Amino acid sequence: MNTNCDLIVVGAGPAGLAAACSAAQAGLKVLLLDEFMKPGGRLLGQLHQEPGGAWWNGIREAQLLVLGAQEAGAVIETGVSVTGLERTRDNGWTLWTNQGRYRSPYVLLATGAAESANPLPGWTLPGVMSIGAAQVMTNVQRVRVGKRGVVIGMNVLAMAIVSELRLAGIDLAAIVLPPGNALSGSSSDPEAVLESLVRFADLAPNAMLKYGAKLLQSSMTRNIALNLYPKQGIRMMGVPLQLRRCAIEIVGRDAVEGVLVADVTPRGEPIAGSERFMEADFVCIAGGLYPLAELAAVAGCPFRYVPELGGHVPVHGENMQTPVPGLYVAGNITGVESAKVAIAQGRVAGLSIAFSAAAENAPDEAEIKDAMKQVKRIRQEALIQFHPDIARSRAKLYQTETV
Amino acid sequence: MKEASIIVCRCEEVTLEQIRETISKQGCSARETKLRTRAGMGICGGRTCRPLLDRLTAPPEGESASEFPLKVQPPVRPMSFAEWGHSS
Repeated sequence: MNTNCDLIVVGAGPAGLAAACSAAQAGLKVLLLDEFMKPGGRLLGQLHQEPGGAWWNGIREAQLLVLGAQEAGAVIETGVSVTGLERTRDNGWTLWTNQGRYRSPYVLLATGAAESANPLPGWTLPGVMSIGAAQVMTNVQRVRVGKRGVVIGMNVLAMAIVSELRLAGIDLAAIVLPPGNALSGSSSDPEAVLESLVRFADLAPNAMLKYGAKLLQSSMTRNIALNLYPKQGIRMMGVPLQLRRCAIEIVGRDAVEGVLVADVTPRGEPIAGSERFMEADFVCIAGGLYPLAELAAVAGCPFRYVPELGGHVPVHGENMQTPVPGLYVAGNITGVESAKVAIAQGRVAGLSIAFSAAAENAPDEAEIKDAMKQVKRIRQEALIQFHPDIARSRAKLYQTETV
Repeated sequence: MKEASIIVCRCEEVTLEQIRETISKQGCSARETKLRTRAGMGICGGRTCRPLLDRLTAPPEGESASEFPLKVQPPVRPMSFAEWGHSS
């Protein structure tokens, strides 16, 4: 059993790497575990252009964070899946993994987010994948996903990844809505989707979305836009964004051969007789993200259901501490946001833990407060706003939960 | 018609229709639905369909929304008995 550390960080994504770095700099012995074969988490898949024109290259960002954490003295082990954690009698933690047990007085869960499924008939055929899987294949494994794909679902993550797939030269036939069913919620409602599209208009290199964003903030103008919206869609990175068309079924014998789609009314109801077949050899389902918090649940941490943050989040304070002694959280496990916010949260968590552990070079309270302010500033400037009410719902969470 | 045949739990191949019928016939909770249909009890441990089951069985709103409707239990990742034995 490995017992030689002060802090174990679960997840070597942006939050975990930043936390490991700041905690190790403060003098803690830090071990960072990740189940993937290389550190970086979802950063490894990210590639986009910022409003100023500079490129955000996630692989490069990950390398810098890994270097920073290692130089500070943190040890990174990859290929380690944490499967459970349990409190020990001396108020520390035992972590069960596929590589044996580990012990540590402090644990930081930086496990990120997982993709939500959005099932429709045919979604279990080979060739159907989550859009995040297409991103990993393209940007991490460098494997071509297929010859021609259809994306089902329109949200921030889908738009970001569509642009990455296009940069890699992958052909996409269309982006369509999911069919309305017991599981689809508002993701199949054209008006709700249009409203959310406006929030990441900056990501869409398309004049209508970019300059129409302000116009589309009222429900009335949105309705007009939906009624006028062309059936064949508006092109984004060369891919028709079909807000008035939904997938009905994914078709194929042994693998994906195409998608049966239908036109929908402005309210999202399929129009009878408008069905048509769209040829494709792969399908990406974009169901959005939710905080991956299984380990916090296993550890006995209480939860709050906060839709603005993506679902159930572990109760935590602004300093990233949970009500469970010795247990901290950072990054998307606390709510779905951009990687830059996760990095800033990781720094707060690392400093808070070093403070609580009275580390050799522990920060003072002012330094932690500064790091917390930095999180808010970065959140405000974030290009990708996953939800318009993140700041408000976080303020509410931190006000009611005094940890 | 098409909607009913959607598979919700891929591991155990449980359809939306089976789950809805169980819920309406038995009036059951997320946990009971899981035990009756085996949805969420396959090799992946419910990693894909857990949120879907929660959505289908969750009470509309209220205090219970703060808790996970389905309890999470270790191991939270699929692993072999050999690995499990090695780790304990």
